[in-house]
Amino acid sequence: MTQNQFISKRLRAAGILIMLGLLVEALSLIWNHPLSFVAFLGIGGLMMFAGIIIYLVSLVSDPR
Amino acid sequence: MPTVALLILLIIMMAFIAVIMIRPDITAARGGKILAFLGLFIFPVFAGFAGLGSHIERSKQTSFCLSCHVMEGYGQSLRVDDASYIPAVHYQNNRVPRDEACYTCHTDYTLYSGAIKAKLHGLKHLYVQYLGTPPQSIKLYSPYNNRECLHCHLGARSFEQGAVHTADTQTMADIKSNKLSCVSSGCHSTVHNVANLNKVKFWSPAP
Repeated sequence: MTQNQFISKRLRAAGILIMLGLLVEALSLIWNHPLSFVAFLGIGGLMMFAGIIIYLVSLVSDPR
Repeated sequence: MPTVALLILLIIMMAFIAVIMIRPDITAARGGKILAFLGLFIFPVFAGFAGLGSHIERSKQTSFCLSCHVMEGYGQSLRVDDASYIPAVHYQNNRVPRDEACYTCHTDYTLYSGAIKAKLHGLKHLYVQYLGTPPQSIKLYSPYNNRECLHCHLGARSFEQGAVHTADTQTMADIKSNKLSCVSSGCHSTVHNVANLNKVKFWSPAP
């Protein structure tokens, strides 16, 4: 795997997680219910955090 | 930030990230790297904090507090047709904003106070409501603090020159330093009184 392919794969993975996290956040803002806060924090927040970590790790990783 | 504005911003962020996902090769150039840093780090962090703020603001709504079954009686107590009921007289006369009635008098409650432990209490309430067994009656974690009354009444003529409040200099000092409770010292002691709601009349606002 070339470095470009490696970074592209990581960026896609990070992007998917962050997009899903943002989607959960958007839905939680529409859903006016106490559980929406838990969904925002527990699902959306976790996905966004994981996505950001994957992205940051991809910046400093060496694929070789 | 208004919820609609935040939703629009989230859609824009998602579109931005979609571009990076579809064309990850753009990140090979310097400009692409900056775009990726914005889309995959700065924007999500901003969205997270903005979402958190929006959720906390929304949790201040009276309807949010009353959505738990155990709070129903407390919601009803706001409509008691008796001026001796402190929450009712505040709610019905707009002395507190009706859509944030609970929060206005309980600004230090769980999520809103500073400590992490207090915020965890708020999450524990959610757990008990949906996964546990809600108690028949609830009570405050700490005695009601006069500060909650004084952030409106302090400086008001009715408070500062009230006959009982000024009966002696020590009384006023004790009220202001929370040594003499407004609600549990026998002066303004009829608060929610949910145990007696079946014995009172209720007020209905005009449609």
